[in-house]
Amino acid sequence: MKPKIGIFGLSGCWGEQIIILNCEDQLLDIVGATEIVDFLGGSSVNDEESPLAIAFVEGSVANGREEEQLRRIRERAEMLVACGTCACFGGVAAMDAEQPREQVICQVYGADAAVSAWDIRPHRPLADFVKVDVAIPGCPMEKTDFLRATASLLNGDLPQLPAYPVCLECKMNENDCLLISRGLPCAGPITSAGCGARCPGYNVVCIGCRGPVEECNIMSLQKILEAKELKAAEIRCKLRTFAAPALDRTERGGLA
Amino acid sequence: MTRTISIHHLARVEGHGGIQVVIDGSQVSKVEFDIFEGIRLLEGLVCGRSLEDVTGIVSRICAICSHGHSITSLQAIEDALEIEVTLQTRKLRDLAYQGANIESHALHVFVLALPDLLGYPSVISLAKAHPEAVAIALRLKKLGNTIQEVIGGRAVHPVNYVIGGFGKVPSTDDLLLLRQELMSRVADCERILEILRDVEVPDFVCAPIRCASLVPQDEAFFFGDDIELSDSGANKRIPVREYRTLTNEYLVPHSHAKRSAHDHRSYMVGALARLTINGQRIGGMARRAWEELGLRLPATNILMNNIAQVVEMIYSLERALGLVSELLDTGVTPETPPPYHIRAGQGTAATEVPRGILFYSYELDAEGRVAAADVITPTAQNLNHIEDQMKTAVLQGAKAGASDGLLEQRLAIIARAYDPCISCSVHLARS
Repeated sequence: MKPKIGIFGLSGCWGEQIIILNCEDQLLDIVGATEIVDFLGGSSVNDEESPLAIAFVEGSVANGREEEQLRRIRERAEMLVACGTCACFGGVAAMDAEQPREQVICQVYGADAAVSAWDIRPHRPLADFVKVDVAIPGCPMEKTDFLRATASLLNGDLPQLPAYPVCLECKMNENDCLLISRGLPCAGPITSAGCGARCPGYNVVCIGCRGPVEECNIMSLQKILEAKELKAAEIRCKLRTFAAPALDRTERGGLA
Repeated sequence: MTRTISIHHLARVEGHGGIQVVIDGSQVSKVEFDIFEGIRLLEGLVCGRSLEDVTGIVSRICAICSHGHSITSLQAIEDALEIEVTLQTRKLRDLAYQGANIESHALHVFVLALPDLLGYPSVISLAKAHPEAVAIALRLKKLGNTIQEVIGGRAVHPVNYVIGGFGKVPSTDDLLLLRQELMSRVADCERILEILRDVEVPDFVCAPIRCASLVPQDEAFFFGDDIELSDSGANKRIPVREYRTLTNEYLVPHSHAKRSAHDHRSYMVGALARLTINGQRIGGMARRAWEELGLRLPATNILMNNIAQVVEMIYSLERALGLVSELLDTGVTPETPPPYHIRAGQGTAATEVPRGILFYSYELDAEGRVAAADVITPTAQNLNHIEDQMKTAVLQGAKAGASDGLLEQRLAIIARAYDPCISCSVHLARS
């Protein structure tokens, strides 16, 4: 019997489901090797009960309905894979704001009575609620990471993901360092590699979309940037765009 | 007798939405397209952020339209700072839009909508019965992604778009590769026409369709400074800067997305609207597809939006081929984006993304930070129109004695015909 898999989206931009659908050359092979039984984004007939060998979950948890849905997925799934930076670290919707969330809501929707009845919570990564077996970061996750992880899991292995920063890949590509030689606020030193240092290759700074690399030293990067006359508050905002909840934990407990 | 039809979670659309309909005798007393996608507040969150950071954040509103969000955001900033971009930049952005249109329409028509038209629950079962159609669709989808990757650096959430231009312009080799890919997909389009020629589009709903689209600037079908609203023959023009007089956004209790209405009536944006208003500009193989697939405009069957998307997909392939050839003829020059002076200002831009008109407006403070942001997406504009069409479909269906199950199926097909992008719609505009 082919392993049953499910693909689920919580709050987000649908980026990881799009990445899965963007595996145009492998999609029919994946469909052949597995049984995709629960995929609301792709099918109007779904089996919402049977146990799953792998559950791929994208997006962050932003309300009670999503929390409940995630817990149900966890109960059914042998392996739960957090796909993308929202699922792994909270993502952009969890970033710092100038004002408290209540005020941002008023600013966006007006102080409407209907809004106060909505279930609105801070966006949190999956691991705040359930055990996550594999985390594939990236905004969006890389196609190759998804394919490798799927292949490993189907063969009973855990996938290996890079535990080094974007800088390493950037150096391997022999790019000119945007941070040191051009003084630009590049988040490469604290960001998990795996993207092939794509942005610096386009002369554009890393904005940290893959989330923090293990044992990143955010204070050190902050000092380098402050020495380049960037304002401390602005640096903090920049570095915390994609993974504020995870970095909060890092700050509380020292290094990640 | 009261009948209630409800779809808790609509399948095969991007994002989280449901449908609730209540029929009282011969009246439809309630039609609600509920949007319960989690609220992300991105427009509020970008306030205070530097104008250099904001585009990389708002692109995350939506994966499928991320190139459109990025470029429209940049154009609004460029409008505020009065930055002129070069002809080469305009052509490259135009090319990226064609890629996005090919990818998005191929995904929607074949993966999300065609199963409805052929009676399958998903593309997975469709692939078993019609492997060739699905294989062609995947090749076209991939072509759209390749174009977006070459111009934007990544298919989803592009990295190469910067204020005034590009981090790096594509090389001649990149463009030669694109030309080859584009040319080898022309035969696929021919085959698509053969396959789709025999597909019957259901016509269970019949109602006039009020359309809005941008007035194309020169050759560029997806860019312009004016909006045209078609209203049973009497068309109205609205400058993009005054977009709020078109959309008049307001809030309804059952939806996390705001609604748009003009003169208190709904309107539709997207491929069908673009072809209804500007279709005379379409020639070539796309024109032939139009005729062979029996598209007659103005349409009274909203499901024809799927056919309009097929015509546009072929148009975009031909337009992309033309643009690549022009760029290869003139050669692509490495350009550094023009320098700009940071100052307070207000800027607005609109472009046609696959699902319709996308509006961006920013207020910038003297230090180049975002003081206010407003984003109005196509799906947010379409929500009222979707509900109106659902109401008509339920009335017409109930009169003909359709069962609850059949009405439920039709409601889902109507919602999908618009190719709604619910993540996008929950963008949350500032009042």
